[in-house]
Amino acid sequence: MGITLKQSRKLAVIRLEGAIDIAAAAEFKNLLLQACGSGKDVRVALDGATDLDATAVQLIWAARRSAEGAGVAFTIFGAVQDSVSSALGYAGLHQFLFPLDAC
Amino acid sequence: MANKADQFKIAFREEAREVLVDLESALLELNENRADAELVGRVFRALHTIKGSGAMFGFENLAAFTHNLESAFDEVRNGRLEIGSELIDLTLSALDQIRAMLEEGEAGAPQSDPSARAEILAKVRHLTGRPEKPSAGDKPAAPGAGTEAGCEAGTGIDAGPMREWSIHFAPGAEFMLNGANPLLLLRELGQLGGLSVRASMAAVPPLGELDPERCYVSWEMVLATAAERDAIRDVFIFVEDCCDLTIEAATSPTSTADSIPAKGQASIAAQTGSAVAGTADLTARVLEDQRATSGGRRIYDAPDHASSLRVPAAKLDQFVNLVGELVTVQARLSEIAAQRDDIEIAAVSEEIERLTSSLRENSMNIRMMPIRATFEKFRRLVHDLARDLGKNVELTIEGADTELDKTVIDQLGDPLMHLIRNSMDHGVEPPDVRTARGKRPTATIHLSARHSGASVLIGVSDDGGGIDVEAVEKRAVERGLVAAGAQLTEREAFALLFQPGFSTAKQITDVSGRGVGMDVVRQRVDSLRGSIDVTSEPGLGTRVTLRLPLTLAIIDGLLVSIGEASFVLPLANILECIELTRADIERANGKHMANVRGEIVPYIRLREHFNILPPRPEIEQIMVVQTEQGHYGFVVDRVLGNCQTVIKNLGRFYRHVQVVSGATILGNGTVALILDPERLAQDAVRAISHRARGRPAGAALRAGIGREAKGRAQAAS
Repeated sequence: MGITLKQSRKLAVIRLEGAIDIAAAAEFKNLLLQACGSGKDVRVALDGATDLDATAVQLIWAARRSAEGAGVAFTIFGAVQDSVSSALGYAGLHQFLFPLDAC
Repeated sequence: MANKADQFKIAFREEAREVLVDLESALLELNENRADAELVGRVFRALHTIKGSGAMFGFENLAAFTHNLESAFDEVRNGRLEIGSELIDLTLSALDQIRAMLEEGEAGAPQSDPSARAEILAKVRHLTGRPEKPSAGDKPAAPGAGTEAGCEAGTGIDAGPMREWSIHFAPGAEFMLNGANPLLLLRELGQLGGLSVRASMAAVPPLGELDPERCYVSWEMVLATAAERDAIRDVFIFVEDCCDLTIEAATSPTSTADSIPAKGQASIAAQTGSAVAGTADLTARVLEDQRATSGGRRIYDAPDHASSLRVPAAKLDQFVNLVGELVTVQARLSEIAAQRDDIEIAAVSEEIERLTSSLRENSMNIRMMPIRATFEKFRRLVHDLARDLGKNVELTIEGADTELDKTVIDQLGDPLMHLIRNSMDHGVEPPDVRTARGKRPTATIHLSARHSGASVLIGVSDDGGGIDVEAVEKRAVERGLVAAGAQLTEREAFALLFQPGFSTAKQITDVSGRGVGMDVVRQRVDSLRGSIDVTSEPGLGTRVTLRLPLTLAIIDGLLVSIGEASFVLPLANILECIELTRADIERANGKHMANVRGEIVPYIRLREHFNILPPRPEIEQIMVVQTEQGHYGFVVDRVLGNCQTVIKNLGRFYRHVQVVSGATILGNGTVALILDPERLAQDAVRAISHRARGRPAGAALRAGIGREAKGRAQAAS
């Protein structure tokens, strides 16, 4: 499990590795707040995540709203692993991460 | 957070224990009614619940082991496997292993036996004809883990008509902290049938205000399944206390499933705030239809809303103790209010008295539990002992819904176990002997419970050979307990059975014969301030009745006085109060008999019984009391009125004073002894009987009471 935040001049990139669940939720929130407060475009890389639980999804969803409210671009990138996609899909949470897929 | 997870495991253990009790009971009933599909379903659901929830809370080996049994019962449900003694016995043995796995790590808990588990699984696989699959035994069959094993049998769907259920599920604030995972629950729910899921983020606050460890997401679902409501509830059984859950029937049962998603598939719709995504046609239609039928209001199904709360027993005990203290203080307030001529204080005092009384009743009701679970667990004991002893015995149960205080129930298990073991070993005859005696080859042990005044009567009876009184007397003489040639009444002879080390068994078996069990029964019943009554008919059977107080905490009492001493009689036993004048006594020619509207009621003058010195008043009061022996009158000087009585234990020194069941502190700070009408009546009858036979019995006890009454009952603790 690991969450890292890297910032360049224009971008704040959060990379998720391993299981991102309640144990990581506080740290994840902290990094999202930093990223969204930086005024830079925010990107969240999901390809390294092996599990996302409801706390992770709601954090990403809240962060997206926060960023969009501040006029900052918020993007999720990286191919999410099949097991993660399946679990999120089963719980009806997939579209909160990838709203464009629902259209 | 680790503590929270531990707490959730504890909660799982507690609930799993209850599920196991039900499972055991269902298995034993199934043994008697092997064609009962409902019982098969009950067994299957219990196994499914233990498996699913076990995996969710980290009991992965337990889940994997249970999965194999669940598969076997899935075969039974589908008509591919017949119920036989071997499967029942294997499942019962497996249940013991599950219990051990559940308690592993707990202090004093038995260790589970991996080799026994492997043996059980091998036999189960042999029965089901399934080849051994290492993965099934070694991997957890976690719901939502997506393993093949997990989906293989875990459908929970009965072969009934399909119907749709509308389910609302919103995890509470503590849900995630407790170690639960909503996604796993939804996955398990999906195994019951076609699931349409709509998640809502409407409750998610802005990022800055969001508690990261709380789940704000809620779900509206439509489940198309043949499973019953109970099977759906079972998915949430371990998290019901920390989530908002409603399960409503969305449509009537239907045999067609054309319009519903196939089992295991979920059609998904997402909702952002109030917006509904368009892919959830079925969900939206069903929910919309349902709301329309109630004019925009949701139709809540009452049983689903009958929520319950699990509270540690220690907290409840503390609560009841505090109520007891409150009752005592309220009695003081009433006493003070009565002494002052102040209407306002009197009004407040009466209001507090009313509220305290209500609080007391409610708090006591919370601790009242049906005795069913205690009774049901003996089905297994009877089943196993019958097999070991080569006897045919069925257990029948009556009055399982009778309620009594949890503290009493907790102490009933051991005495009942010893009584049943004794009946099985010594009372019930082998089938050939029974047949030769013209009896059914299958013997019956009957457990019963019923209320009787402020007591509950627990009966253990059998239709065996009865007690051989002569053998009891002979053994008693051999042990020097009674003199040779002593004329014992039947009651006195039976009382010997409860002496330490007393046994008439010719040989000691694994089951009984050491003379320890019945002594344990007596000690435990004594500690509960109860009594034991034994009746036996040679050749027909034996009945042991335990009379126990309904509660050990607070009762409604009637305060009476004799001289300067106060006593409390349990109100539940009292039928009425009548006056006793000197003229009445003369009319009865000095006999202790009162004519109560044509009924002759014998009475006991407590002043004499307790050796309390005169003077006695001109007009006394007879308290007419209902006892197991019939109506009796207890003569006292004055009736002081009702009182809520907080029962305080007497010290060990006073334990032998059988006619007193405890003491209570009155509003004026003095102590009143609580009398046990049942024992008082027995004691009085015995005293009269002994006087007639020229034996001074019970005099010391009565003298003790007299001293106690006069000399202040400072023994109350």
